[in-house]
Amino acid sequence: MEFSDKQESLTFRRGVREGFPICVGYFPTAMAFGLVCRDVGLKIWEAVLFSVTNFAGSGQFLAINLLASGSLILEIFIGVLLINMRYLFMGAALNNKLEDGIHGPKRLLVAHGTTDEVFSIAVLHNQRLSWPYMIGLEGIAYIGWVGGTALGFLIGMVLSSELQMAVGVTLYAMFISLFAQELRQKGIMVLVIAGFSAIMNSILILCLNVGSGWAFVLSMLTASIFGALVITEGEALP
Amino acid sequence: MKENLPIVVYILATALATFSVRVLPYYAKFLNKLPPFVGRCMRLLPIAALGPLVFPGVILDFSPQWYAGLAGIGASFLIAYTKGGMIFPILTSILVTYIALVL
Repeated sequence: MEFSDKQESLTFRRGVREGFPICVGYFPTAMAFGLVCRDVGLKIWEAVLFSVTNFAGSGQFLAINLLASGSLILEIFIGVLLINMRYLFMGAALNNKLEDGIHGPKRLLVAHGTTDEVFSIAVLHNQRLSWPYMIGLEGIAYIGWVGGTALGFLIGMVLSSELQMAVGVTLYAMFISLFAQELRQKGIMVLVIAGFSAIMNSILILCLNVGSGWAFVLSMLTASIFGALVITEGEALP
Repeated sequence: MKENLPIVVYILATALATFSVRVLPYYAKFLNKLPPFVGRCMRLLPIAALGPLVFPGVILDFSPQWYAGLAGIGASFLIAYTKGGMIFPILTSILVTYIALVL
């Protein structure tokens, strides 16, 4: 699918309009992140700072998970770096479509706002991407992400102590929900790859006493290499 | 925390890890020419991450009531798979875990 945008130019207003569904979609996920941050013991400004400086769903959830399990900073850094490697490809594709003359801080801001969803919308246009359009598209998504984080944290403050214990499952429920959606959309390979990494991680931690951060990095890398070996280029890639 | 660093240091370290991979392709051209196999690995990383993000943590966190977390994620999986979405599966999962913990 491509947007037929021969007539309508890529304005700030159009960016906001196309980014609004992303904003709505981010809000509940970001609320879940805010809730988890509170559960783990962060202060509200720390939770918000997380979303302001990172603006990356899976990377942030990974980081807070490893942080809660007492992983070392290097383990967290490498884990987040790996999980966000896909942005290299998204950025390379968007960079080829950017209008000339977007340099310095503008270019850095466009880079900071590159998320999976922003990419999937922006890349569909068959004309060059303007600065006002990109900042509208990314800005509205950013507001949803940061706003949702703050609200999720505040909601966590009014929960009873019994419920707070059960809230410990939030993070896992969030990943399982993501997994269920991926499985439904992309098929059995998602189960094979995620199952492979889950089993390997469990063996590393429970049987071999490997630290949780390194176990995570090792099992994620091995499973993705395994997946890339069994999926050929012609097949639908997750 | 084993290292006793302020939380903000971890936050900024993850921000750096995220920002560096985001900003690189806007300045480095070689990324257009990576081997397809490397590209496939990188695109599979987020899916490969989902397994270790759940197991074995969801069992260990609720030990000795190890079944509580499993019941919770089982419920969220069923709802997310059949109905989609994220906030409703998560809320249901909290409720199911809560019931499993107090029973």
